[in-house]
Amino acid sequence: MKDETRDKTIERKPWNLLEGFAIGAVLIGIGLILQWTIGPVVWSVFSWPVNGITLALFLLAIGLMTVLAKQCRLFRFLSTQQVAIPTLVYAVVLTIVMGLTQQKSDGRGIENMLSYWPFVLIYALMAIVLGMVCLRRLLHFRFSIANLQFMAFHLGLFIVLLTATLGNADMQRLKLITFVGQIEWRGVNEENRVVETPLAIELKRFIMETYDNGQPKRYASEIVVRTKSGNVKHAIVDVNKPVRINGWKIYQYGYDTQKGAQSQMSILELVRDPWLPAVYTGIYLMLFGALLMFMRKGRKEEKRR
Amino acid sequence: MNWDFFVYFAAFALIHWAFGAWAAWKGKRRAAIGITVIGLLIFFSFILAMWITMNHPPLRTIGETRLWYSLFLPLVGLIIYTRWKYRWILSFSTLMATVFICINIFKPEIHTQALMPALQSPWFVPHVIVYMFAYALLGAATLVAAWMLIKGGKSEMRDERADENPLESLINIGLAFMTFGMLFGALWAKEAWGHYWSWDPKETWAAITWMSYLVYLHYIRLPRHNTKIALWGLILCFLLLQMCWWGINYLPSAIGSSVHTYTN
Repeated sequence: MKDETRDKTIERKPWNLLEGFAIGAVLIGIGLILQWTIGPVVWSVFSWPVNGITLALFLLAIGLMTVLAKQCRLFRFLSTQQVAIPTLVYAVVLTIVMGLTQQKSDGRGIENMLSYWPFVLIYALMAIVLGMVCLRRLLHFRFSIANLQFMAFHLGLFIVLLTATLGNADMQRLKLITFVGQIEWRGVNEENRVVETPLAIELKRFIMETYDNGQPKRYASEIVVRTKSGNVKHAIVDVNKPVRINGWKIYQYGYDTQKGAQSQMSILELVRDPWLPAVYTGIYLMLFGALLMFMRKGRKEEKRR
Repeated sequence: MNWDFFVYFAAFALIHWAFGAWAAWKGKRRAAIGITVIGLLIFFSFILAMWITMNHPPLRTIGETRLWYSLFLPLVGLIIYTRWKYRWILSFSTLMATVFICINIFKPEIHTQALMPALQSPWFVPHVIVYMFAYALLGAATLVAAWMLIKGGKSEMRDERADENPLESLINIGLAFMTFGMLFGALWAKEAWGHYWSWDPKETWAAITWMSYLVYLHYIRLPRHNTKIALWGLILCFLLLQMCWWGINYLPSAIGSSVHTYTN
């Protein structure tokens, strides 16, 4: 059984974990050179349509490599455990480094791991491996709980990895400081720059409830939102209960903690993330895959009976 | 109900678990299962009473999460015992539960604190309970791995049905729970903080832990893998999990920058 694959491919010596680790090492080497020459990854470059084009090219590359897998040993190798394991090991190690160093948005090198080339390339390799495995499996898909479980888990992770990373540049987060009775349309973006917000928000009332010991139990803002097209919406924004309007979500972010319940000010956050449905598709696929992990067990037991 | 009563409930439950473990050693399966279940009910009644008194599930502090861990360990031990019939597993799970109960009694990072607004979410309970269940399963898997290493890496623990390796099943189910916990956390984070993943230190370490178990699951599926490396790998995975669970509270790079740090 196990030797079947070896008979089919007349390769002199099958590539193993060592070659898998070598691929990762080469990528890390390239990453270090890139980091040293052109500097960290600039994610803001990836805003629409660059991220869309990148995604298309990425998928195209995965498709091409899958088609050419018969001719090219390397491409064939990429969708094996022998590459998946080293890739995961490198990802674990680099993420541990990230977990052990204080991350700063203006940090250099490993202090800003998310823009560190070796880190980014290893996760990109993970996406390539996942993509190729999924595509190859999809082409020869036979229905079984085990196959479905495998597919949901791997495809889900593939979608989450790609869309969360590429979509991040399109995400907008604006903080709005509102005062009771005033209309506000200026927000502060993530680069601490003041920008005009697409929604004008008037704070009608700041709501605060406390426990007996004075700790906050609930804080919320009663607001009126006006869109540019003239829509008006009354709403109460609670922590954990954002309000949705025109593709934006409005979050309760903070208040004047010095004044507490007497606060006349409320900080709201406006978030827009157009790639969210794609990311959620991936997340739900993964949840489905995790659920099937139990089903698979149950089925095995049934068979035995 | 308050923490003053914990000692009595815990001691009473522990006595049952210890008797259950002893019955298991003696090969009295029914007695072992029955007594352990009674112990679980006693322990759970304390949690339930705390839940009702505080008006929210006791999940807020690390002391409170230990409470669930002390419950789930014997529960998982019981499940493994009924399924794979290891006579030693109940002793181990009882011992582990004792350790966690003792930490709670002698080093109480315990407080009957009110729930801050960010934690008032329908995601809160499933997120933490599912994670605690995963931790308990993976803790049990670590014990099995350690036992196998002591036994010299022999697959004596294998099920008579060759297609199923109990250790692999434990990790599979543990990882499934962990995936639920992580993704529930992501969905919750979107509602509470505006983003599903912010590489908060807890999230970073959760990703590390999750991927490290994936390494194990992929590695043992290699036709020619080294059992000892796999077993040691599992122990390493569990160490990383400890970092994720409570280690980050002491990690200089994480202090003050995590929404997950358990505060006093």
